[in-house]
Amino acid sequence: MSRPGEGFRGLLAEFAPWLAMLARHRGRLAGGAGLMALTLVSAIGLLALSGWFITATGLTGILLAAGVAARLDVYLPGGGIRTFAVTRTVARYLERLYNHDTVLRLLADLRGRLFGVVAGLDAHVLAQRRASDWLNRLTADIDALDSLFLRLLAPAAVALLAILGLAGFLALWAPAAGLAAGGLLLVGWAWLVIGQARLGMAASRRQVEDREALRGRLVEQLQGLAELEAYGALDAQRRRLEALEAGLYRDQHRLGTLVALGNALSALLVGAAALAALWLAAMAWQAGALSGPLAVMMPLAVLAMSEALAGLPAAFTWLGATRGAAARLNGLRQAAGRTEAAADETPPPGGLSAELEAVSLRYPGAPLPALEQVSLRLAPGERLALCGASGAGKSSVASLLLRQLEPSDGEIRLGGVALPAWPEAELRRRVAALTQRIDLIDDSLAANLRLARPDAGEGELWSALAWVELATWAQALPEGLATRVGEGGRRLSGGQARRLALARLHLLDPGLVLLDEPFAGLDAGSVARLKPRLDAWLAGRSVIFLVHQLDDGAFDPPGIDRRLTLVEGRLAGYT
Amino acid sequence: MFAQERLGVAASLALRHRVRAELLDHLARLGPAGLASRHSASLASQLVEQVEALDGYVARYRPQRLLAIIQPLLVLTAVAWLDWLAALFLVLSAPLIPLFMALVGMGAERLNREQFEAVSRLSGHFIDRVRAVSTLQLFGRTREATDEVHAAADDYRRRSLRTLRVAFLSSAVLEFFASVAIAVVAIYVGFGLLGYIGYGPSSELTLYSGLLVLLLAPEFFQPLRVLSQHYHDRAAALGAADGLVALLDADVEALRGVSEETDPAPAGELVRLEGACVDYPGRGRVLGPLDLTLVPGEVVTVTAPSGGGKSTLLQLLAGFLGPDEGVRRTAPGLTFAWMDQRPLLVQGSLADNLRLAAPEADDANLVAALQHAGLGELLARLPEGLATVVGSAAPGSPAGRPSAWHWPGSSCPTPRWCCSTSPLASLDTETEARVISALGELAEQGRCLVIATHHPALMALADRHLALDADAGALP
Repeated sequence: MSRPGEGFRGLLAEFAPWLAMLARHRGRLAGGAGLMALTLVSAIGLLALSGWFITATGLTGILLAAGVAARLDVYLPGGGIRTFAVTRTVARYLERLYNHDTVLRLLADLRGRLFGVVAGLDAHVLAQRRASDWLNRLTADIDALDSLFLRLLAPAAVALLAILGLAGFLALWAPAAGLAAGGLLLVGWAWLVIGQARLGMAASRRQVEDREALRGRLVEQLQGLAELEAYGALDAQRRRLEALEAGLYRDQHRLGTLVALGNALSALLVGAAALAALWLAAMAWQAGALSGPLAVMMPLAVLAMSEALAGLPAAFTWLGATRGAAARLNGLRQAAGRTEAAADETPPPGGLSAELEAVSLRYPGAPLPALEQVSLRLAPGERLALCGASGAGKSSVASLLLRQLEPSDGEIRLGGVALPAWPEAELRRRVAALTQRIDLIDDSLAANLRLARPDAGEGELWSALAWVELATWAQALPEGLATRVGEGGRRLSGGQARRLALARLHLLDPGLVLLDEPFAGLDAGSVARLKPRLDAWLAGRSVIFLVHQLDDGAFDPPGIDRRLTLVEGRLAGYT
Repeated sequence: MFAQERLGVAASLALRHRVRAELLDHLARLGPAGLASRHSASLASQLVEQVEALDGYVARYRPQRLLAIIQPLLVLTAVAWLDWLAALFLVLSAPLIPLFMALVGMGAERLNREQFEAVSRLSGHFIDRVRAVSTLQLFGRTREATDEVHAAADDYRRRSLRTLRVAFLSSAVLEFFASVAIAVVAIYVGFGLLGYIGYGPSSELTLYSGLLVLLLAPEFFQPLRVLSQHYHDRAAALGAADGLVALLDADVEALRGVSEETDPAPAGELVRLEGACVDYPGRGRVLGPLDLTLVPGEVVTVTAPSGGGKSTLLQLLAGFLGPDEGVRRTAPGLTFAWMDQRPLLVQGSLADNLRLAAPEADDANLVAALQHAGLGELLARLPEGLATVVGSAAPGSPAGRPSAWHWPGSSCPTPRWCCSTSPLASLDTETEARVISALGELAEQGRCLVIATHHPALMALADRHLALDADAGALP
């Protein structure tokens, strides 16, 4: 375990961005904490005032019985008791609702903003992470952070204030009682907040990671069920899952024990503080420094403090989970350091030329460069076939031209304009790509098509579908264009998904088109019918086909003017 | 108290372990075909979050429920012994509490179920958009998608608040009764001590018994209040349990058919389909009626227009699906390999991935298998060799690589037949040639290969060719 100072500084540094975010909502948070304090004051007030009232009435009763003329105003304290009883209930209800609303509001904003961060990541960083990892990041981590205000900061602060306030209040009448009770409660508070957090830190921090690992394995198992079943590897995979689960539960058991310990300690300390207050107040009463009703009120008020401390053990034992979530979200924000291009030059209309000049690309940590000194020129309207084995660097060239990656060296120009100077919206409108992996969103056919052009009318969607021969199929579907395609387009066959992606391109009017194996997964008949249409649509546009190989057969893309081959990141020359 | 919490935790851990194991068994029985319509992220979230949601119920709610009966009874006895009228106040207020809480709880349960659905939907929506983030970038739609994610999260907030409003109401009801009872007892005791109340036992009240009654009054409600805090746990657990039971209810028998009860395939045959048909809900008949026999050593290619039932046929042959009509017979003890269009890579090293297929293979075997698939050179260039981590998309590894890595897996074990969809997708000429020759060797070793492909080289390798037409599976 690290040294305390260093650990604490690290903790603060990890929480700093989130505390800053909380600070922007100061007003709402203060309101929430205020309601929390009101609830607590009402609870303490109810019990303390009741004790005072009973004692006062009891003593007055004794005096009355003894024939002494005594008077006690019963209406004011009676009213006070009733008021405290109602405020406690109402304040508690409002406080919980108000604070949860605040936190969920914060979280919705945060979730949107974080997706914005993910959307700004470059192709390389995106490829390194699994979808299940992202899922966990944005849902679980942000949810873990919601305890920062509601379960950690606010209750601890309110409890501390209440302890100080109570000690001060008691000290007004009996300084010794105030000091003793306050001191004991402060020790308890410090233990619950700092001690529990330190003991639980490592185990609770691991929880987040272990849960993520478990979820990752589960997604893996569900997606690969066919192969696992075929290999008879289900049992081995299950054993790995169970090992993960066992680790997770070992930590939970430890944390559960710690929380139980904290709860027991908190009850013990409040009891001890109440006893101390009782004893010291009784001494003061004997010395005549304190009236009887006040002496009774003191231990009762201290007893009511158990409510202020109740949530702390569980919350702080699990501090590590929140901390882990904060640290990982920080890492994500740092990874997205990409800046938007500010310049706006106007590229020429029509087919776009493309130039790569001595372009190299190195991935951080990779032993070999992905591209080395690649230079090529594509004239407007030209069709180039870029061939190469998987891993030769074809997709890297595509990512560079699409500005999803930045070259380590060299320069790229599209239409004579340096790529970094292209305005983002213009680039996306003028450069279109059919990637090797088809991404379809889990939404309707129409929504998937409209990714390319949100304002496309139904007629245009149908003609795009007709262009790839999906119109008849789509018309036969009971829900037509509103049919949902399923996760990653899973309800479509591979060929249908590819044709849908082609239809999506057809809705655009690009000057440069990148097509990665446009006919992969299609049958000979479809290819024969689709090829001339694609040929016609590509006329006047510059095209780069990315293909593994060309065999001059039916599956070759149409109208190739020139061929280049990439071998391990270098151009192998013209063929 | 300490012991109570510890035991609660232990019981909860044991239960969650058992529930998750049972669910996993069930999902494995359902198989890939049964899961096709479900979102793997939603399912994973059910298996992680919903099972964890059972925790609060077992660890806290159940033990507290017992305490909530015992402790008030003890307190009541003590108070009644001190002052029966004060005890009456408590008794009168107590039965109202479960009544109100039951009313509130009924609403909370329904809302909680909705909330679990909302969480599942939210995570499905999110993982989907993240998976497609590269495409969204290409179309310049990231801003719209960000807004969508925000809107989905906001919808989740509104749903959560609805649940919470009701959940908090149940504890507010209790809080209110507890506060009122304390106030009433305090005022009653006070007035009694002043002698303002001329009936009942109040004249016997002393200062000490009065104070004791006051101190005991909150203890009467305390366990109930704690219980109501955990009531949310119960509602959450019940909502989760519903979702989990719905998952368990998916019918394995209907999906996989009753192939166990049919006679084995005649000797010398591996798999035999007789008049087999497959229907999908909402899509009608996708395959069949179909008669097909597979014998050792033959290579069968399957072609069909896209959506024509290729994958369905392979799933049927593999037994992931059962025929809706007709019969599927297999040779006894049949083993098979499966290679998906989207190959599975588990998080772990290259060796881990290869050993999925052949757990006992040593490193030398794995290297041999890789060389066999034409990956020897590539392996030699990896600094960490077999220990290279591949599962989490090794830096710089292009999308084309996984299926290449994956190939050796199928040649390690000794399956008697092998199903594959487009095995040559995204391989270059050289690797392709090696894979084709490896496939040829597999066939020579007496294994049967069924390959869904349009690739001319593979079609040339085939002994037999099945063309499924668009109107569901007729044969040559």
